[in-house]
Amino acid sequence: MTRPHIRIGIDVGGTFTDFVIADMRDGTLAYHKEPSVPVDPSAAVERGIAAMIDTGRCPPESIELVVHGTTIGLNAIIQRRGARMAMVVSPGNRDVLEIARLSLPSSYDFTQPREVPLVPRNLMFEVNARMRADGRVESQPTEAEIEMLAERLAAAKVDAVAVMLLNSYRDDSLERRIAAALRMRLPGVLVTESAVLWPEVREYERSLVAGLNAYIHPLMSLYLDRLRDRLAGLGVAAPIYITANNGGTLSLDTARARPIDTVLSGPASGVVASCRVGAAARTSKLVTIDMGGTSADISIVQEGAPEFTTSTFVGDFPLMMPVVNVAAIGAGGGSILWVDAQGVLKVGPLSAGADPGPVAYGRGGTRPTITDCYLTLGILDPERFLGGRMTLDARAARAALDTIAASLGLVGPRRAEEAAESALRVASAKMATELTKLMATAGVDPRDFSLVAYGGAGPTHAGLLAEEAGLPTVLVPMAPGTFCALGAVLADVRRDYVRTARHLVGARGAADGFAKVMALVADLERDAVAWVAKEGAIVGEHALVLTMSMRYPDQAYDLEVRVPEELRRAPTSGALASVFHEEHARRYGFSEPGSAVQITTIRLGVIGKVPPVQLCARPPAAAKPRTQRRIFHDGREHDAAVYDRASLGEGAAIAGPAIVEQLDTTTFVLPGWRARADRIGTLHLAKETP
Amino acid sequence: MTIDTVELEIFFHKVTAVAEEMAITLQRTARTTYVKEAGDYGCALARPEGRFFAYPKTLGVSGFLDSNLAAALSHVPDIEPGDVILTNHPYATDGLSSHMPDLSLIKPIFHDGRVVAHAWSFIHSADIGGGVPSSISPRFTELFQEGLQIPPVKLLSRGTMNKDVLTIYRANCRVPEVNLGDIKAMLAALHVGEKRVGEFIARMGVERFLAAQAEVTSYATTKARAVQRRIPDGTTEFWDYLDDDFNSRIPVRVRCRLTAKDGLVHLDFAGSDPQVAAAYNIPTGGKRHPWLTLKLMHFVFSNDQTIPLNHGMFENITVSAPRGTIVNPEPPAAVGVRSATAIRLNEAIVGAMSLARLGLMPAPSGGIMIPSVLVEQDPRTGARNVMVLQSLVGGTGARDGADGVDGRDSSLANQRNTPIEKTEEEAAAMITDYALRPDSGGAGEWRGGTGVVFSVRIAREGSAVLGRGMERFVFRPWGMGGGRPAAKARVVLNLGTPGERELGKLDIFHPKPGEVVTIMTPGGGGFGDPLRRRAEAVADDVVKGYVSTAAARRDYGVVLREDGDVDAPATDALRAQIAAQRGPLKPFEFGPEREAWEAVFDDATMVRLNALLMQFGPTVRTLRRREVFETVIPNLPEVGVKPLDAVVGDTAAAGRRLAAELARLEGDVAALSHLA
Repeated sequence: MTRPHIRIGIDVGGTFTDFVIADMRDGTLAYHKEPSVPVDPSAAVERGIAAMIDTGRCPPESIELVVHGTTIGLNAIIQRRGARMAMVVSPGNRDVLEIARLSLPSSYDFTQPREVPLVPRNLMFEVNARMRADGRVESQPTEAEIEMLAERLAAAKVDAVAVMLLNSYRDDSLERRIAAALRMRLPGVLVTESAVLWPEVREYERSLVAGLNAYIHPLMSLYLDRLRDRLAGLGVAAPIYITANNGGTLSLDTARARPIDTVLSGPASGVVASCRVGAAARTSKLVTIDMGGTSADISIVQEGAPEFTTSTFVGDFPLMMPVVNVAAIGAGGGSILWVDAQGVLKVGPLSAGADPGPVAYGRGGTRPTITDCYLTLGILDPERFLGGRMTLDARAARAALDTIAASLGLVGPRRAEEAAESALRVASAKMATELTKLMATAGVDPRDFSLVAYGGAGPTHAGLLAEEAGLPTVLVPMAPGTFCALGAVLADVRRDYVRTARHLVGARGAADGFAKVMALVADLERDAVAWVAKEGAIVGEHALVLTMSMRYPDQAYDLEVRVPEELRRAPTSGALASVFHEEHARRYGFSEPGSAVQITTIRLGVIGKVPPVQLCARPPAAAKPRTQRRIFHDGREHDAAVYDRASLGEGAAIAGPAIVEQLDTTTFVLPGWRARADRIGTLHLAKETP
Repeated sequence: MTIDTVELEIFFHKVTAVAEEMAITLQRTARTTYVKEAGDYGCALARPEGRFFAYPKTLGVSGFLDSNLAAALSHVPDIEPGDVILTNHPYATDGLSSHMPDLSLIKPIFHDGRVVAHAWSFIHSADIGGGVPSSISPRFTELFQEGLQIPPVKLLSRGTMNKDVLTIYRANCRVPEVNLGDIKAMLAALHVGEKRVGEFIARMGVERFLAAQAEVTSYATTKARAVQRRIPDGTTEFWDYLDDDFNSRIPVRVRCRLTAKDGLVHLDFAGSDPQVAAAYNIPTGGKRHPWLTLKLMHFVFSNDQTIPLNHGMFENITVSAPRGTIVNPEPPAAVGVRSATAIRLNEAIVGAMSLARLGLMPAPSGGIMIPSVLVEQDPRTGARNVMVLQSLVGGTGARDGADGVDGRDSSLANQRNTPIEKTEEEAAAMITDYALRPDSGGAGEWRGGTGVVFSVRIAREGSAVLGRGMERFVFRPWGMGGGRPAAKARVVLNLGTPGERELGKLDIFHPKPGEVVTIMTPGGGGFGDPLRRRAEAVADDVVKGYVSTAAARRDYGVVLREDGDVDAPATDALRAQIAAQRGPLKPFEFGPEREAWEAVFDDATMVRLNALLMQFGPTVRTLRRREVFETVIPNLPEVGVKPLDAVVGDTAAAGRRLAAELARLEGDVAALSHLA
């Protein structure tokens, strides 16, 4: 019997469940798509793996690892289909979810509703448990009070409970005590303690970490158990890992205990895969764009590794945990075109999504979308969409665009094409403005970056976006339609830890503060190392990434600073402060080297290295067009050569205008751009310098 | 030259992004907490004549879109490429800086020797000198107390920093380093704006760039007018009150006469009270100004979210703000807390619009913004620690088809609150309550949002609690279309204990250790007849605790069973009984306080009184005004702790005293004109 050598990455999307099969012996990749089963996503996983076993591609005993990305937690939050849950809070804090952070979605528009609180007000329970900011216990419930609380929770018939006490980030023991008592009295109810999950200061955000975890806890436990059973039923004994928000993976057991860590994993996996494609292309500054039918998400990669944010949203709710920083910049190929009363063309924000989808899908959509524009302009081939799995109705798309053209007052035989092109220009301009703002926030220049395009529409639109936003190159990976599944098999194990500090380092007399910071770091390291050691046999060495939020004592805002590895290993108070002074000077143009530095938050990431997949090289092959077709671009017709992606080997070179077709996407090489395939098959699109 | 509509749409998105990129640049580098925490800053691109054609949609202060650089520019006739104008002068700029901490920078952008745009940025700076740290106090009466006055001057002249200006500036503020950091941040933002304008011109040519500015603003004008046509043609009049001007207990009335014709709107503020000897005056230069058009902007944008944010939105509006009134004061009247007046003024506009057509606007919100502050002393060293405990607001008003939002209000500034855990990191005191205030939202078919209850338990000897912006302690947020007014604001010491005491409006209060200070904010007004609210919605409000069982019965006529469900027959009976007993529904419900006040000081009398007072110079005007009210309502100083209706007492007697005062005033005015 051969040693297990197959890794399977699985990404569940709304329409398809994608599989990437990586053979560790030679680095070859294979792909599979299975229609998704929204009511039970694990059914599609089972079917897909069964199909691959049946075709002999991966006998069960050859599988060494299954890495699965799931959106069921996210969907439950967005669609508000999570558990019936209660939250237990300190006296006076019962409206933490009602008042939230006070601000409303818009300061211009009084019709915009606020979010519906995660837990209704009648399921918020105050208990006589209060801590002070220094960790002292101000009051704690008697056994009788806990008993009474348990009775009220039982009467409320909840499936999950989050316990969130004020100032518990200092010490989780009071939350633990109450949670343990509730678990004992309420068998079958899943209880989450806020400070065990994520002990960071700020009660609203921490109550959401606990609340969202509790909200999806029953659902995710059930799902992960079912997944394990289904795979076991197929004879797959390999360990199952679940992709995480931070671009890493978690063992099934960890994911079951901390499902909140998995809710934003899909986009994170795509960024992980982008970093690998970027590394193979010797590029470390990337903008990733994942554009599908219903969304367009981008992320900025500066040093070859995903960047994190600690202020993002899950549905309506802010999430304070570190996640790969991905931002939505548009509604994707399903964005609907319309014309306002003044005759001005608008794109979005309404989307036709996958259902009914674009007019060309013939599923009842009547309002033209971005995808209808691609088709009408000749960028998409109606017969070869999704490798021919779906025939597009080009005539209907064109007719719908012709109606738009009429509302715009356009005349002439090509007015539908002109309207389509205008819509793409508007869409590109809107996306580019969002991209520009993100780059401004990061303080970087688009001209230094390459755009990595994936998702069904990413490679189709990437050239237009790059041209508009001033990015000089575009990278199109081999299989853009299953890129997130690829990211899953490429990821290492990773978990993040946090402690809230509030200690001074750097100045004289701050030795005490430094010692306290180091004690907290040591705590974190102990927890992290102990955890990663038990995370499974596939995990080899581990690495630690230490970051600290720091500020000058009079400042109202923090700067997150990465502590360099050599300093992490041999820290000194002065050197820690220096790292901050330097970063402050780099970002804001000044620093105050004489000042003490306050450390407010300490975050530690532990990365458990998984032996990497070596992406295999492709044989060289020159580019030969399969055919040619007329496209409409820049107000006129062009003859564009059409290539099959599969035929392009290393070094294959293409001059735009050209179309590259493959099963899962179509790449548009603009006039004035060239494309070349690299060693692992990535297409490099570059603007020709005039 | 015209721009096609696709160019127009793209231009709109791109210039908005430039304004936002400027804002991001400023935000990244600014040092004051007003920028980081409260978002109190702004950036824009202006047309050569000075009004904005590009403005951020999501960053900074939303309310300054209708600003105008023209007055500030007129003071610097010799502008050259590389110049940057600095100013904070409320009067010299017609309210571009509407109070002096708002530092404005303007960079005219040149192309081939002519100005093609201006980049603008402003920051509410931490301190600009004056009588108190952070420079704002309601008690100030003159600009001279409010800090350093900077008329428009060149901070940079042909790209070179004017060090003398900086030297004077640094010498006049308490935290010069922070302020200098802010100026650098503003300059960085202007630089981004200028660079991007250059790129636009390189890409589209200067003539098309100028044409696009014109087109994108006239597009906004067309769109805004389409929305404003929902206001029926005709004239309506409405007024509202500030509780007082802080230095006296006399209510301050703001009045709006709105005339609509085919989507064009004229706002006439004549009849508003004279300027006050306190920091509540709004400097507008008598022209259209952001503080005067804020609600119309909300109205327009809420009805068309695709409208480009630029001055075109306001070009269907004209205003008249007579000089010497609180909406167009004469220098050097103080202006620091002009926002409190502006909130009330905009609620008067809401009233006038709602008189024209009920349902165009929501009922008023709690209408306050209180940055509650705690001062603690170190028991040994005496070192003082000053911290913002919480930004307190009320709920939003209900509108036709939707309840108000509980405990939040974005209508003036969309601020974030301070986490309790963050406050307690700093303070020895403990926050014992920060929750919604049941029954404080105005009842209605659509319920007003509730206010909040915020309690702090004092830990240290020598502590002080301060709260600026305390309003709606006397007059309630009103209800609309049969909806009820909301609860008033309160401040209570030791709530729920035998020693409970009503404190009324706080200026500064010194509680003892162990004492609990509770601030309650008003709710938003209700909309529509409460008896028409779905009984199940009332039951749900009771289950969730927004409304008490007693209020469900009293205000809504809804009877609930033991299990919390609606007792339908009992509810029908009770509702029928209430409907029969009460009089006809009024379009506006103001509550007993305003009714008692207006039984004495009705609109006609007030218009007459103000007309007489305007015959005097500002100082005498203030004195005479005060004399009239204190003579007519001798118990006025008790208001705030006691309700106004109790303070007014016998309205007929007060009316007689008023008639005598008016006669005396008329005599004096007649004598005055003889003198002339």
